[in-house]
Amino acid sequence: MKEVAAVFQKEWRAEVRSRHGLFTAGLFSVLAVVAMSFAGYGLRPSGSLAAGMLCVTLLFSAILALPRTFLIEDEQGTFDLLRLIGEPGPVFVGKTLYNIVQMLVTGALLGTVFLALSGVEVRSGPLLVAGLGLQCVALAAAVSLCGALVIGASNRWVLAGAVAMPLLLPQVFLGVGALRVALGEGMSAGGWQSVAGLAGFAVAALASGPLIASAVWREE
Amino acid sequence: MKRLANPYLFGAVVVATIVSFALPDADSFRVPSLARIIFWHLPCAFLTTGLVFLAAWFGLRYLGSRDTRWDIRGAAALELGALFGALTMVTGILFSKVQWGEWWQNDPRQTSFLMVLLILAAGLSLRAGLSDEKKAASAGAGYALFSLIPNFFLMFVFPRLPQVRQRSFHPSETIQTGGFDGAYWTGILVVFACLAWVTFIVYRLRVEAGELTVRAEFADGNREADRGSAAPDRMVRPVPVPPGGGD
Repeated sequence: MKEVAAVFQKEWRAEVRSRHGLFTAGLFSVLAVVAMSFAGYGLRPSGSLAAGMLCVTLLFSAILALPRTFLIEDEQGTFDLLRLIGEPGPVFVGKTLYNIVQMLVTGALLGTVFLALSGVEVRSGPLLVAGLGLQCVALAAAVSLCGALVIGASNRWVLAGAVAMPLLLPQVFLGVGALRVALGEGMSAGGWQSVAGLAGFAVAALASGPLIASAVWREE
Repeated sequence: MKRLANPYLFGAVVVATIVSFALPDADSFRVPSLARIIFWHLPCAFLTTGLVFLAAWFGLRYLGSRDTRWDIRGAAALELGALFGALTMVTGILFSKVQWGEWWQNDPRQTSFLMVLLILAAGLSLRAGLSDEKKAASAGAGYALFSLIPNFFLMFVFPRLPQVRQRSFHPSETIQTGGFDGAYWTGILVVFACLAWVTFIVYRLRVEAGELTVRAEFADGNREADRGSAAPDRMVRPVPVPPGGGD
């Protein structure tokens, strides 16, 4: 646990100093929402459409911002040092936890700005919070692993996105299933079923990610 | 290639072709004679599913042992899985056009299988993107293992969700509920047996080619070492030399 906390603290300090990851993800999210509301000026999207737009923006925000925590170590040449100092598993967990926090902040910001600008009414607050929160956790866990896998590739930034995208599509589907109900369409039971699916994905990704990442890193 | 020119295999393919044309038309379809597309579509989907699981299993074995043989087997399973996934898509699109009237209907089942194909393509892309063979092997193994979670969801859970079943033209419970009659099962199983045979031969050839490549590289490295001109295992970068030499 000490190593995990140390890696998390390191990431947090680096973020406080450079304000790069959160700032980029936040700016991208706000810009994407403003662009969408500008494109649909005067129109109020239906619950399904609003949920789809919100989830896709969240997906691109995750792909854009999250692999950075791993790839920046590779670019700065500090990845080997990090692995010498800590065990691969705790290093991965620490970075993934930081990514989850970053994604939750981004999700909260994105959701607030989106609801304010689109004028969509919220029918179920708890479902919205649960759906958005669990999707952020599931996205962060999966993108973190993809970021860890592409370390060493020449086109790692593009590859991380390309490799992560198809793995995240089922989570986007479940996220849309939960948020569309929260935003006024469909049956409540279906929304909570999607939340349960998202929770399953998040748990599976969080449980398998550290094992796979540490097995992959150990050999190199 | 000699193994593919096997007379027994040729005979089996001929039998499969005759059986699929000899079976009666499926009258419940819009174009009954072309319902035979499923004789190829279903076996390709079964093989893709099997190969996806096989690639994950080989990935697990590789990460546990670091034995290159498992990596070669995993790569072969992934490549063949992508090939049969593409064949499933092609036959599915043809079936959709003939029986349902559109090449692409945005059917949830079509879309979910496209996602499986994209995951397989991403796995190939990850392997191709890493020039270091060991890194490519371990990252490819990790990806094959992790992608089992979304693949399992897309292949087994997603098609059975109530909201998907309501909207999809694609039947999901035909096999479990005994929707195929005996004659159609015969056709599907005969074609499946032929395709599985061909897949096994191609898989063995791919594995042997991979193992030969590894052996050739190893022998090449040994020859270089014997000549005393072995290539260094680390990259040599130029360093700036101060004016007047570096002494």
